[in-house]
Amino acid sequence: MMTGMWALYAREVKRFQKIMLDTVFSPLVNVALYLGVFGVVAGDRMVDGISYLAFVYIGLLSMMLINSSFSNPSFALIIAKNVGSIIDLQLVPIRNWKIGIAYALAGLTRGFITLGIAVLATVWFIPLHTIAHPLPLLAGVAITGIEFGMLGVAFGFWAKSFESLTILTTFIMQPMIFLAGVFYPIATLPAPWNIVSQFNPIHHNVNIIRYAATGYSDGSVMVSAIVVCAISALFFALMNFVTRRNLRMQ
Amino acid sequence: MHSLEITNVTKKFETPKKDPFIAVNDVSFTIEQGKIHGLLGPNGAGKSTLISMICAMQRPDAGTILVDGASVTEHPTEVKQMLGVVPQEIVVEMAFTVEEVLYYFAGMYGVPEHERGARIREVLTELDLIDKLKDRARNLSGGMKRRLMIAKAILHKPKFLILDEPTAGVDVSLRQKIWALVRRLNAEGTTILFTTHYLEEAEQLCESITLIDHGRVIKNGKLKDIQQEFSKNAIHFELFDRCVPHLDGVTEVGSDYEFPMTDLGRDMTALTTHYKGNIKTIRSESASLEQIFLKLTNNSNV
Ligand SMILES: Nc1ncnc2c1ncn2[C@@H]1O[C@H](COP(=O)(O)OP(=O)(O)O)[C@@H](O)[C@H]1O
Ligand SMILES: [Mg+2]
Repeated sequence: MMTGMWALYAREVKRFQKIMLDTVFSPLVNVALYLGVFGVVAGDRMVDGISYLAFVYIGLLSMMLINSSFSNPSFALIIAKNVGSIIDLQLVPIRNWKIGIAYALAGLTRGFITLGIAVLATVWFIPLHTIAHPLPLLAGVAITGIEFGMLGVAFGFWAKSFESLTILTTFIMQPMIFLAGVFYPIATLPAPWNIVSQFNPIHHNVNIIRYAATGYSDGSVMVSAIVVCAISALFFALMNFVTRRNLRMQ
Repeated sequence: MHSLEITNVTKKFETPKKDPFIAVNDVSFTIEQGKIHGLLGPNGAGKSTLISMICAMQRPDAGTILVDGASVTEHPTEVKQMLGVVPQEIVVEMAFTVEEVLYYFAGMYGVPEHERGARIREVLTELDLIDKLKDRARNLSGGMKRRLMIAKAILHKPKFLILDEPTAGVDVSLRQKIWALVRRLNAEGTTILFTTHYLEEAEQLCESITLIDHGRVIKNGKLKDIQQEFSKNAIHFELFDRCVPHLDGVTEVGSDYEFPMTDLGRDMTALTTHYKGNIKTIRSESASLEQIFLKLTNNSNV
């Protein structure tokens, strides 16, 4: 039944709406700070025909999208496991994969709202006046949000505590984001890192979003699109596997 | 059709020392549609484990459970849709108000949006919780949280309501309210399965019971039949002076004495002639569930 899944989705959206200040302001302040610093340092520099500031801007927004979509379901599920309200997910007549999708979609929604507000607040300071490919941009944002939403669900079900979440963010997500071509084109990285970055899934998300927004791409867009789809499928499988392990009859 | 059909269900756990531990041992019983059934037994008897298998939260190691003819292990989602469950542990959402908790939970059972508001008000009014509608669920008192959990379980009008110790830690007047609600739901056709510590409650509510101890069924059937079985052969009496020679066949049961009965009139006469004015009370009434329970669990412990 479809309605059950949507009610769960609506509940998870409501959950972050209750902490809207948190939801919106911390990433907003983050992006604004970065932009302030890069604006001063970069000035009018150009990267392959687009302004460096616009280049970094899209990278930062992608990073924000990935972070919000990932952390929303992980936080919600780790809390649910700690207070015991996870039992509700075992009682209700919603299939496991739909439970995962509801949480991942709520993550995407949070990413989307955060992104929207950040863009409205900061786009005026960026030398970026048109969107190169609006529909692909929407698609790129949506698939990135759902992709990391699903990873967040898998992680939320797997993790025992917030410490695991901190460890993952600090030691895996952050380094991956730094090597994803957020701050500079990966071609300009020194020897091993430019190759390593090609294998960093986040790089490909940033690349398709940046290409759709500005027309600039940091490597083949086709390859990036394929990688993003493949990784999304992988995360979907991973999410289902971990969700089932946690919610199935033991 | 039976609302619930449990056949040879067994559930094993591993103790921390990796020894197998059988929490539910070859349990079988049925509940007819529209009945109130009590699942009774001391702490650790296996009641909650059995309930979690009925709710598709745990998988039996052996045996089958059918809810309305549907296998719990094969059709868990369909079974969950038919059930309303009040788990033993009180758990509440951190972030939401009472209204929000109920609104979304009802939604997850497919209650349409436009019906939820009215149902929430109706149920909360009956549970005397309506003035807490906008309060944060986590700020409620223990008894209120318990009622919130009951409200969650009945919003979608389940065919079959399962309550695991719904009155534990709840004061007397509140217990009355909860049982009144259970009676009303039953009168409207809901089948009820519940566990309780308070045997008097079971006595007042149930038509049929299952007694379990150490994971095994020790008695199952209609409450009336069980009471008759345990009382038809005995006369109970109390004495003022306990240090007297006793009639053959008299045994001590707590502060009472028991005498095996073959003919009510003749045996009563025999007792009154023997003890005369020493008899404080004498009765051949049906045994209380508590007496039956003590007798059965003692026997099984020997
Ligand atoms: N997940 C579990 N792992 C190990 N032992 C368990 C588990 N759940 C219950 N038990 C044990 O099974 C027995 C029955 O527990 P339970 O069903 O909760 O009893 P009741 O509800 O009748 O008080 C207890 O001894 C309990 O410690
Ligand atoms: Mg119990």
